[in-house]
Amino acid sequence: MSTTTTPAAKTAGKRNGPAQRRAPADGPPRRLGRQNAAGWLFSTPFLVLFAVFMAFPIVATLLMSFTDFGLRNVTHPLDAEFIGLENYTKLFEDEKFLEALFNTAYFVVVGVPVTVLLGLLVAVLLNNGIDRARTFFRVGFYAPVVTSIVAVAVVWRFVLDPTDGLIAGLAAEAGFTAPDFLGSETLAMPSLIAMAVWRNLGTVMVLFIAGLQAIPTEVREAARLDGAGTFQELRRITVPLLRPTTLYATVITTIGYLNVFEEPFVMTQGGPSDSTLTVSLHMYREGFNFFHMGYASAMAYVLFVVIMAVTVLQLRLLKDNTS
Amino acid sequence: MHRTARTVSAALAISLACGLTACGSGGEGVAADAEQTLTVWAMGAEGEKLGAVAAEYTKANPKIDVKVTPIGWDVAHQKLVSAAAAGTLPDVMQMGSTYMGEFAELGVLEPVDTKTFDKKDFFPAGWEQGVVDGEVYGVPWYVDTRVLYYRTDLARKAGVGKPPATFAELESMAAAYQDKAKTKWGIYLQPRGLDTVQSFYPFLYSAGGEIVDKNGKAAVNSPAAVGAFEQYGAFFDKGLSTKSVQPGYDPLKDFNTGNVPMFFSGPWIRTLIDEQYPDLKGKWAVANVPTGKSSTSMAGGSSLVISKDSEHKAAAKEFVAHLTSAQAQADWYRRTHDLPANLAAWSSGELAEDPGMKVFFQQMKTAKSTPTLPTWSEISASVDTALESVTQGKASGREAAGKAQAGVEDLVSR
Repeated sequence: MSTTTTPAAKTAGKRNGPAQRRAPADGPPRRLGRQNAAGWLFSTPFLVLFAVFMAFPIVATLLMSFTDFGLRNVTHPLDAEFIGLENYTKLFEDEKFLEALFNTAYFVVVGVPVTVLLGLLVAVLLNNGIDRARTFFRVGFYAPVVTSIVAVAVVWRFVLDPTDGLIAGLAAEAGFTAPDFLGSETLAMPSLIAMAVWRNLGTVMVLFIAGLQAIPTEVREAARLDGAGTFQELRRITVPLLRPTTLYATVITTIGYLNVFEEPFVMTQGGPSDSTLTVSLHMYREGFNFFHMGYASAMAYVLFVVIMAVTVLQLRLLKDNTS
Repeated sequence: MHRTARTVSAALAISLACGLTACGSGGEGVAADAEQTLTVWAMGAEGEKLGAVAAEYTKANPKIDVKVTPIGWDVAHQKLVSAAAAGTLPDVMQMGSTYMGEFAELGVLEPVDTKTFDKKDFFPAGWEQGVVDGEVYGVPWYVDTRVLYYRTDLARKAGVGKPPATFAELESMAAAYQDKAKTKWGIYLQPRGLDTVQSFYPFLYSAGGEIVDKNGKAAVNSPAAVGAFEQYGAFFDKGLSTKSVQPGYDPLKDFNTGNVPMFFSGPWIRTLIDEQYPDLKGKWAVANVPTGKSSTSMAGGSSLVISKDSEHKAAAKEFVAHLTSAQAQADWYRRTHDLPANLAAWSSGELAEDPGMKVFFQQMKTAKSTPTLPTWSEISASVDTALESVTQGKASGREAAGKAQAGVEDLVSR
């Protein structure tokens, strides 16, 4: 069959002739291919690093979360047994994990709005209200962001100490007794939130200052010409035009707070009575103190899904409002 | 030129790495008298001070170059686990009883040659810290135990002439400090948080209780243990002991001011008081743990272990034998004030004559070490939680013990 060549096929072959002669026209794509190759070559260092330090751990953690990877598997990783979803089902029966979820939610629900609002307030004040020593204040508010948590912990312990602390001292002067902030199950979490707000205010402030400076002056001038007061300008001009910045600040602060670890780790170790135990801290303990690596990996993935869901939700909600 | 230099240095780096990690090994190991480098890891203060001892050892044995790496306690556990996973453990390392179970389970420790090292030379509770499932992995290096520190000047004010003999007397003495000597608290006992259990051991052991019994069964809800929980809780119920402290609280400052006239602690506190509060000299003393069924405290300390993959086991064994010999132990006490694990070291000098040291010696003879189980850190954490519920008045001793029992049963059965 294939041996009999129909005239049509011949002509088709002939017609293909010119197309073949046009072969050099394929040059540019091929050169692009070479460029691609060069591109791949240049990005190899990054790709290797990414594969080794990001992709591999992410995949390994996922695989580990379906196993009973424990201490003895540290030397014999392949002996870990596949146990399906057992780690995940166990998580939702783990009272400590549920409490940690609740505590983390508390931290986020209170901490994020306070951080973002205070950051906005400070940014607006520094942008308009204060002329002198502006740089001084900016540096002052930003300093906690770049200070080591260990140093911060020493200072905050001193501030909150119920007998020799700064607040206790001031309260005593005024004739009150200061509460035992970190020792009280009701006050420990708010104290840590206060500390986190203080530490993260600077980041949010810097974002908002950048956002404020991107607002064209004409818009403000026009508003003022129309007789807008300071408050009206803030409400009608500043806040709406800062919406993209607010969205970004809210999302990154939320992600950071959902992962909160350092504050409870250095200040309370999760106590008193697990009232400041967060998901990350619980995960750290299960993983590195008790070496329940499989279980801790499952926890990491649950936290990841929660963060993903909350972020998507935030983007939806806040973006829809802009349009 | 450049290239050769680079190749040579790379080859050097690889061979060096091989030397350190003993890669491509598989022989019988290096003879004890051959020229070699012995790597040693030690933690905290011991790590800082072992270097000088190692240098002296090298001077006496020029063929053995002992390299000591000090490791901070805060990173020690993780560093050891990662080294075990990577097969890069040193020849010799310091190891506490809480790690012993884990690392024996990992199979990275070389069993101790019990012909060279004799159980009878050491405190029983020191020896036990190196034994896992009947197999000996560690030679006790130094030991510690908790005794009662109390303010003698304030005791006189409170009308108490001698240290408490029973736990009932401990309680009434705490009350007397508060009532008559007007101290803020009667005694410091850790109310909650990590390792609260260490404060609790003297109560538990003296009552005849245990967390895990000889057969490896959970025993937290035995009548003796329940009694200990109740006794411990009473100090908080009656306001004799503070219910709340910051993590990392150290009672020494309050011991100096008199806010806290009594606490249980280890031998290192003696040195700290002398260094930090020299004015307190003559105003405090140590006493044995009060007696319930017995006067039994907890035993801590560290052992020396040899890595299973070590190429230098013979030399390592000799170095460990040196460090745990009576003479080296007495010398180590002078340098660090660590209590010698070797009994013979206690027969002369300050260790034999100082009345305070006699208290420690006596306490150490009957002290109990914690079981060397791989899940011990989890077990003790569940007892910490139970103790917190008692000290905070949220559960009775019986309820807390029952809950801890369920948790521990689950953990020992794994």
